[in-house]
Amino acid sequence: MANGRLEKLLNRFADVRGHEAHAALYLSGFFFLITFTFYIIKPVKESFLIGINPAWWPYADLATALLIGFVVALNVRLLNRLPRRIYISATLLFFIGSLLVFWYAFDVYLKSLVSTPVADSSGGIFFVWIPLAIIKAGTVPVFVFSFWTDVFIAMSVTQFWLAVNDVFDPYQGKRLVGLFVTGGLFGGIAGSSLAALMVFAKLISAGNLLLVCPVILILALIMVSLVYREQQHLRETAGAEVGPVQAGARVGYWESFLSVKRSRYLLLLAATLASAMVAGSLINFQFKFAVKSVFPDNNDRTFFVSMFFLGILILSTVFHLVATGRILRSFGIRWALLVAPALLLAGSLSVFLVSAGALLAWASLIRGGDKLFDNTIGQSIRELLYIPVPADIKYKAKIFIDMFVNKFATGLGAGLYWGLYRLSGFAYKDPIANVREIGILVVVFLGLWIVLTRAVYAEYPAVLKKDIRRKWDEGDKAVQQHVDVDLTRDVFDALQSRERSTTLYLMNVFDLVRKNNLTPELKEVLGIKQDEIRAQSMDRLFDAGGEVLFHSLDETIADKDLASVIDLVFLLPSYQEVMGKRLAADAGSASDVDRMDAAKLIGLMVRSPETLRFLERFLQDPSPEVVAYALRSAAVHRRVEHIPLILRQLGNPLTALEAQGTLTSYGPGVEDQLKSVLGDESEALEVRRAVPAVLARFGTQRSADILLDELARRRGDVEQELINALYKLRADRPEVRFREKQVRPELLDMIEKSYAICLSASGLAAGGGDAAGPAAEAKVALDLNVRRIFDLMTLLHPPEDIVKAYQNILKGTRRSGDYSLSLLDDLLDRELKALLFPLIEDLPPEERALRMKKAMRLK
Amino acid sequence: MLIKTREANNVVIFDIEGEIRRSESMQTTLHNQVKSHLDRGRRNVLLNLEGVEFIDSFGVGEILASYISTQNLGGKLKLCRISKKLLLIFQITMLTKVLDIQEDCECALESFEKA
Repeated sequence: MANGRLEKLLNRFADVRGHEAHAALYLSGFFFLITFTFYIIKPVKESFLIGINPAWWPYADLATALLIGFVVALNVRLLNRLPRRIYISATLLFFIGSLLVFWYAFDVYLKSLVSTPVADSSGGIFFVWIPLAIIKAGTVPVFVFSFWTDVFIAMSVTQFWLAVNDVFDPYQGKRLVGLFVTGGLFGGIAGSSLAALMVFAKLISAGNLLLVCPVILILALIMVSLVYREQQHLRETAGAEVGPVQAGARVGYWESFLSVKRSRYLLLLAATLASAMVAGSLINFQFKFAVKSVFPDNNDRTFFVSMFFLGILILSTVFHLVATGRILRSFGIRWALLVAPALLLAGSLSVFLVSAGALLAWASLIRGGDKLFDNTIGQSIRELLYIPVPADIKYKAKIFIDMFVNKFATGLGAGLYWGLYRLSGFAYKDPIANVREIGILVVVFLGLWIVLTRAVYAEYPAVLKKDIRRKWDEGDKAVQQHVDVDLTRDVFDALQSRERSTTLYLMNVFDLVRKNNLTPELKEVLGIKQDEIRAQSMDRLFDAGGEVLFHSLDETIADKDLASVIDLVFLLPSYQEVMGKRLAADAGSASDVDRMDAAKLIGLMVRSPETLRFLERFLQDPSPEVVAYALRSAAVHRRVEHIPLILRQLGNPLTALEAQGTLTSYGPGVEDQLKSVLGDESEALEVRRAVPAVLARFGTQRSADILLDELARRRGDVEQELINALYKLRADRPEVRFREKQVRPELLDMIEKSYAICLSASGLAAGGGDAAGPAAEAKVALDLNVRRIFDLMTLLHPPEDIVKAYQNILKGTRRSGDYSLSLLDDLLDRELKALLFPLIEDLPPEERALRMKKAMRLK
Repeated sequence: MLIKTREANNVVIFDIEGEIRRSESMQTTLHNQVKSHLDRGRRNVLLNLEGVEFIDSFGVGEILASYISTQNLGGKLKLCRISKKLLLIFQITMLTKVLDIQEDCECALESFEKA
């Protein structure tokens, strides 16, 4: 079948993409055949076990718990020695062979013993003893068969998920899990239906039923072959990222255990699964009591058990198709985790209200509920919880948890039952009394399950985040970390001024001295060591005429006492008076350099009405260089009357950065003035665009509110600057709060805008013709909008998580992108996810457009 | 200051001549020009400073602002053919810790490809 048609068909069950359709179908078919086989075997096993004395029941489970370790060891050894495909095929062949042996043991061997005539004189007595011996010996083959069944299901399911892991990455697995579970459920329905029909119609004996299974497993072998052929194909098309766990990876049993032991998350996960299994095991004993009390006959019992499993599977299928996805989408993993234990707890407590006549119905409901949740939401959630675990560790941990922890938990359940049976004297009590006593233990373990579930979820996001790293650092952060921007600016200014004015040069050097920034290297580069700086610095200020004040600046310039002396000079009233006149002369000078000298000097002088008046003048100077020096002096004096002039400089790209710095030095007191400029549409656009960055630098709650209020006005001309400022403010000041009711509408508006761009782009593409140019433009606009969406999301969610998710979706590997989607899936609410994911998921254009339309309808 | 732009291997190259200083700059500054390319979806920027004799604090601010804008969008900004004197100042002021400075444009273009 062509990929497209197959994709459409499979999409009824899960979110399947074209290139993965065949592999998904084969894996689903593989799971179908495994469960088909299992559900033929299972009713036979259950019926045999219920038929024996209840005191013997726990031994089957205990045997499994004790012996499964050896099987695990063998499994690990095979895994180590064989490539995955050969390993799975060999295991299937082993199961086919052993099924033939069981068929021989149950059907041929035992029958032949019964019917073999013995030519002996005491033949009559002999014929009485032989059937009794077979019945007594029958308990052992039942235990062996029960153990083999547990091994079969544990190994088959583990191998299936390992195969899924080989072919798909975690996010694909998450999307496709619904299809696999559906395959499994249909297999179970087919298997239990076949078993029930055959027993009911008496078409075949239980032993011969086992002979059907090898045929199904041969089909499973073929499916495995197809799966790995498809894996090869996917690898060739998608590169090395597909198939993270290579065949032949050497993993020991001890290593599997250590991988769980080393991780708190995996330990909690194992404990959660164990508590669920113990509860399930005890519920199973309750069920056995109820069935045994109503169906003493083996055939009736086998038919009931088959029908019970069939009913459970049909209900599971319906529940899975109708509810699993909805529960996961609506509540997320967090609450979906609680559905099963909470409902089972409520059901288990009701045992104390149930009458003896309703015991079978109650037990069927509780065990049915346990199995239903286990088959559907439980299975999906288990796989989702493994997603954040690195592939190699997951591979090891799954072996230990699936094949050892689960069986150990079943054994623990059996042990608890065994103890209770003997301590409480179950043999002498009514079934309902026994069921209620077991119910107390069930309640305890369900409670533990709930507690551990919360603990696992608390760890989940942290484990998920470990796998996502930043792809790049923010530029401003890198600059802040490595560069002293003020020092760099002063150095370049000093260098530039040396060629233009000694006065300016010395004032700049003096600035560096005052800030203790004059390192030997800087002295070298500034030329201080080589030059003999003359008193020309003061020449021009005092008109003193070339007297040498400093013969070598090298020693004197770094002298802190000198800085103190100069500061004192600036304070002298006579100096103020003389310099006032000098400033008047320089302000009127036609030379830019004279005005720069004067503008710089004002920053060093004591504030007076006269100096401030000159500063006002320099702030309006036609030369951007003079204005730049004036702006720095204005930052020193911080006068309210200068603010309008500084704001005006925001509109000039040659002085905007300086003006922003100057306004920042005024502090948050100017927020209201900035707010009115920002909201005034008659103000120059460049001025308005420069304001948000200043507010971001203040980093106050008031600044954040001003920025958000302005964003809410939805004027596109300053939108980018507002969002940049909000993002920066959030990154620098985590203590600032952003109200969701203010941010959310802007976020949704941005998503809507992105949808419009995306849908118009897909319209262009569908229209054909020369749409490459507009389509490329649309892509750029969309990328920009998506970035804005993520920037806004940092206001409501942990910024680091959102940034990492954005960067990895944009530039990460497929795997890290998938982890990022999982992280967002966990962080965001339902509505936001439904709207955002069609934008950021890797989808074909038609599918993206469809999902967007659907998401908009839901909104 | 004169800025010419060209493209090679998906990299926007700015060939700058003259001095990057406030007094020499036009209203369309280097940073504005870099931003307009970023707005058009370009993410790799190379500043060829072969013809630049000197830069002032404004010039450094323009280069740093261009670097920040490019970096924040996940792009890369590199410099090449910088004079020895400027390189020394860049080293002392630690700008070399942030800015990727390549000896020649060919090496710079190759380094974009490797990244």
